[in-house]
Amino acid sequence: MSDHEDMEGAVAAWVLGALDLEEGEATRLHVEGCPSCRQTFARLSRAAAALPLEVEEISPPPRLRERVLVAAAAARTSTVPNAPARKRVAPPARPWKPAAFQLGYRTAFAAALAILVALLIGLAAGDLVGRNSVTPVSSQVVRFTLVGHGPLAGAHGTVIDLKSDCVALVDFNKLPTLEKGKVYQVWLITPGGHPDSAAVFVPDSNGSKVVLVSAPLKGYAQIAVTTEDGPDGAQAPTQQPQLYGSVG
Amino acid sequence: MRVLDDPGRAEDVVQEAFLKIWTNAAGFDPKRGSLRTWLITAVRNRSIDYLRGRSAHERQEQELMPELTESHASDPWREVSLALERMAVRQAVGNLPPEQRQTVQLAYFGGYSQREIADMTKVPLSTVKGRMRLALEKLSSYLQGRGLVDV
Repeated sequence: MSDHEDMEGAVAAWVLGALDLEEGEATRLHVEGCPSCRQTFARLSRAAAALPLEVEEISPPPRLRERVLVAAAAARTSTVPNAPARKRVAPPARPWKPAAFQLGYRTAFAAALAILVALLIGLAAGDLVGRNSVTPVSSQVVRFTLVGHGPLAGAHGTVIDLKSDCVALVDFNKLPTLEKGKVYQVWLITPGGHPDSAAVFVPDSNGSKVVLVSAPLKGYAQIAVTTEDGPDGAQAPTQQPQLYGSVG
Repeated sequence: MRVLDDPGRAEDVVQEAFLKIWTNAAGFDPKRGSLRTWLITAVRNRSIDYLRGRSAHERQEQELMPELTESHASDPWREVSLALERMAVRQAVGNLPPEQRQTVQLAYFGGYSQREIADMTKVPLSTVKGRMRLALEKLSSYLQGRGLVDV
């Protein structure tokens, strides 16, 4: 049997991933230089690409989608390129603003200058979760930051608002270790100053945590974090916000 | 699930595959295959890697090839189209002689090499190669005859 015949006979196995590394490499090299085997490879590859359709479809559990989104956001935070600065929006008046918060609020307002927008996520969350993008990706995914103050100075959070999915992911870092029995609670603040509880969490030993906010941020002016009693947090904030930022 | 037979592990693998795709989104070239093929290939490869206890660098990644013709019409039509494709593929695989079907399934879904399959089924290596080739040729021919493979 000639080399060509040998290689041609290995193409099907290669297409099915049934060759070891050396055999696969030898086959690849031959196929690249052999028009006849390239045709065979193309034909058999198309057939092999159909094999997954033989499998019975199983609906994935809802939590899987959340897991994927959270993992993607966590991975993205370290790789996102600089985005253009966004024009700041004047902060709305809010009744829930104790004195210290008002002071800190100015800082937050200044931080709003640095709000970053337009996180372009390659194929976009819409595609990754199986839907087609219609509106520009930059308008579907918005990224902005939360800045720590007072006891949480140095801590920060990066919010990735997946608008088309009506969820947001907040990647917290450098959070201080909590006292026993305490939790961090995330609040969504309306322009009128009403706080809605969005999540309760305890960071890991490095002070990091990616939190999923399963609600659209549309209609909210700020995201804030307070320290509350665990495990469920409070019905309303019991302290001034220590980490906050304007919704981008 | 078909490969791993473990819902928890299957979820892990899907998550890993999506993450890989997410971080390498810029590397997706629609000319080399559809997003669906990319996803399926990534999930299948990760599943096999896990099953075989090997790392990705030990596996030879293959170029994506054009796949079953995909409709880009409305979603309902895509659903119908996909259902028809599934039916055709199941029929095609079901029509294969049992030994050819088994060989293809052991390789594609089980991640076994041709030599391992030869040992398992106690047939010469050349027979395994022949079965793989014949099975894929028949599958290709069947699907092409129904206009489902864009050759």
